[in-house]
Amino acid sequence: MRRLAPLQYWNGVVLLGACALLLACGPNSPPAGPPGERSYVHSLDGAPGSLDPARAGTLYANFLVVNLYDTLYRYRYLARPYALAPNLAEGMPEVSPDGLSYTIRIKHGVRFIDDPAFPGGSGREVTAEDFVYSIKRHFDPATMTQGAWLWQGRIVGLDEWKAAGADYARPVPGLQALDDHTIRIVLTREFPQLLHTLAQGFAAVVPREAVDHYGPAFSNHPVGSGPFRLRSIDSARAVMVRNPDFRREPFELATEGFDPASQSGLGLETLEGRSPPFLDRLQVEFIGEDAARWNAFLSGDIQFTKVPATQFDQVLASRHPVVPAAEFAEAFGFGASLESGFVYTHFNLADPRVGYHPEPTREERNRALRCAIVKAFDWQRRNQIFYYGIGQVFPGIIPPVAPEFDAAGGQEYIRYDLATARQLLRDHGWTPDNLPVLEYGFPANVTERQMFEQFRAFMEELGWPRDKVKPLTYATYGDYARAYARREIMLITSSWNMDYPDAENTMQLFFGPNASPGSNSSNYNNAEYDRLYRLAAGMLPSEERTRLYRRMNQLVMSDCATISGIARTLLFLWDRDLVMLPDRAFVGGYFLRFVDVRTAGREEG
Amino acid sequence: MKVPGYIMRKLLAGIPLILGVTFVSFLLMVYFGPDKTYELLGKNPTTGQIEEVRRQLGYDRPFLQRYVAYLHELATLDLGHSESSGEPVTGLIARTLPISLALVLPGFVLGNALGVLLGLLAAWWRGGWLDRLVMGASVIGMSVSFLVIIILLQWLLCTPWGVNWFPARGWAVSGFTSYLWYVTVPSLALILVTLGYNTRFYRAVLAEELGRDHVRTAESFGATPGRVLFGHVLRNALIPILTRLMFSIPLIVISGSLLLESYFGIPGIGKATFEAITSGDQTVLKAVVGLTAVMFVLLQLLADICYRLADPRVAAL
Repeated sequence: MRRLAPLQYWNGVVLLGACALLLACGPNSPPAGPPGERSYVHSLDGAPGSLDPARAGTLYANFLVVNLYDTLYRYRYLARPYALAPNLAEGMPEVSPDGLSYTIRIKHGVRFIDDPAFPGGSGREVTAEDFVYSIKRHFDPATMTQGAWLWQGRIVGLDEWKAAGADYARPVPGLQALDDHTIRIVLTREFPQLLHTLAQGFAAVVPREAVDHYGPAFSNHPVGSGPFRLRSIDSARAVMVRNPDFRREPFELATEGFDPASQSGLGLETLEGRSPPFLDRLQVEFIGEDAARWNAFLSGDIQFTKVPATQFDQVLASRHPVVPAAEFAEAFGFGASLESGFVYTHFNLADPRVGYHPEPTREERNRALRCAIVKAFDWQRRNQIFYYGIGQVFPGIIPPVAPEFDAAGGQEYIRYDLATARQLLRDHGWTPDNLPVLEYGFPANVTERQMFEQFRAFMEELGWPRDKVKPLTYATYGDYARAYARREIMLITSSWNMDYPDAENTMQLFFGPNASPGSNSSNYNNAEYDRLYRLAAGMLPSEERTRLYRRMNQLVMSDCATISGIARTLLFLWDRDLVMLPDRAFVGGYFLRFVDVRTAGREEG
Repeated sequence: MKVPGYIMRKLLAGIPLILGVTFVSFLLMVYFGPDKTYELLGKNPTTGQIEEVRRQLGYDRPFLQRYVAYLHELATLDLGHSESSGEPVTGLIARTLPISLALVLPGFVLGNALGVLLGLLAAWWRGGWLDRLVMGASVIGMSVSFLVIIILLQWLLCTPWGVNWFPARGWAVSGFTSYLWYVTVPSLALILVTLGYNTRFYRAVLAEELGRDHVRTAESFGATPGRVLFGHVLRNALIPILTRLMFSIPLIVISGSLLLESYFGIPGIGKATFEAITSGDQTVLKAVVGLTAVMFVLLQLLADICYRLADPRVAAL
């Protein structure tokens, strides 16, 4: 008996598969939406963990949250330097003469989206009490918030409310709804950055019904009053659709800070007088892998990408100034901007091997040691190798995007000067035999490891024995954060994304009382710095305050507390059919409501 | 022995395995795994806030108490909520597992079927040019990184720099045609990366079988090559083939699809597991580890039943 007959069935299966495959393939195009639908596929290089505003601690979560919820304020779409604009608030606040009391009126008729969390499934009006509840949530331990630090110790009675058991029925004297549309915030001390904090995703307004209804799953069931509502989310993408009940507010170029000199040619003029959001459907793809994101952009599966550093060579015709290659300039929209933060390596000054020491002589020797390391760190090589030479190196802790940045001052701090560095070591009695072992920490990944190897090479050039520069690797960022919060790492490499465009946000990184586990991971402790910080804390932006910030920056540099820093230049590409000015800094996710699709272009395409 | 009794005995024997796996993995997770606390904290935490989060996560409870609670969760399938997204873990698994299965199934089946076929051909003509060609190609296939294969295939098949026939990412599957549209490139990648390993393994098994007495006897009786290969060699080599197939499934589903899911934007369980590992989401990790252990036990049982069907000598034992 012959048993080869099954092969005949196989032939049939193969033939059927081939036919289906031919039907399936063809010119690549994503599944089309309904005719006339304005749809846009954005991409992010990471995924949000949670869409609960109280836990929107990452750039990715914040990007989505500000589109699903309302905040009292937002950043103007086109204004540079960045400026605040009312969002849910009716206008800018009334501030008492002592700067402690803020009265904010919110818009009438703004409604939460329809959701089963509400009685009858119909969304109700957003009230001042919702805002009060949303801020209180940050002080309820059950929320596991990431945003409480913004208001901790700043609003009268809020910390006490938490200490007394976080009972929502109990009022907070400094956080009240005077009526359905009026909020009163009373501060414990002046805090001019308050309005910036109210433009963060953390400050988004949530309805209590939804938090109670969904419990822990509220993280994935956003119920807000923002321009979009969530249709679906998973680890790969979020799909949002226009909130049909979003308030009608005509777009005004002048109000948004349009600058014809630098922003014409993007098609933004066509938005004038129309009400955002302009999209019917907004899809955000989460693509951490650079190669996958690049291929997806080239294939048309996504319409926007942050250009991976590995493609800079291909995309750019010139680095200084940054100019795209002709083929990319013709095919795509192109943008370049500095990130809103910086990359640094802090010394852990609580470590007596390199930091503060009970013996004054040794402490002075340690300072010389740190300064030698700073001078032996070659920022130009770091920039060339890891940032394609288009990052901006700056001295200290006031990054270029901050209004208080000083373009001229402190350049000496970032000048590579090996001779002086070696001299410093010699003058203070450091020899290869008595140099301490440097422990350089980082979360395990290839780029961080490469940066460590470069650092070790710099130290070898300085005369540090190779076996005295050691890596401390951690499997996850959480483990790394735990280690430096416990002061276990000598050299802490990290980055800081500014939360708002005010150097106070980076100055607090060196404020003594914020020492680990707080944000002062270098455990810097300088009485004069702390005095100036407190002095500047209540000041509105002014020349005097800028002068104080710069003085504080100088103190950090003269103590050689950090090897800092570089602000990366980010490159963006997007489809020509889109009308937009993407931003990843402070406007962030707010820009998505203003994205439009050139209908004519699509039809022609 | 009756089959139901056999199944029951095997299932009972699997319980210590599940307990052992869950205990060891839980121990590693608690004492050496990632700490979610610092992922959940804000930018300027106080010691008190750190303690609050640890309490909320249950990190302050004694190990044994946590382990018993874990077993209870597994037994009742009440797996809690993801510490990252808040999504119920049972819902997460129910949503992602079918996607991963649908993603890897074509590549897994075709990769193994082709592997058996090429292994048969190489074994039949062992030492000849075809054998050397197949084995040489297998070594090359084994040497190329999965990542390189994925990126290259994406570039060739999914971008205008190549033929641009398929999507570089996505999983908007609404029917068989769209399924093929999305699954073709990932499947090709999976086939290419597994074919070398499969072919070498199957060739070794089949070549050994070809040297046995019963094959020589069949050839002496004048059986055709097809009859010899499919009726005698392949059938008698089924035990190691089944073993390999069965025990590949959990690895393929849980970890094998990770790169495919990440690079093609497919929301399967591999990616969810990877994210749980990197972010320290112990609720998800515990569930995946526990269910993987259960899956191994069930597949072991299934493999045993298949052995009995494939080889009467096993059934007689």
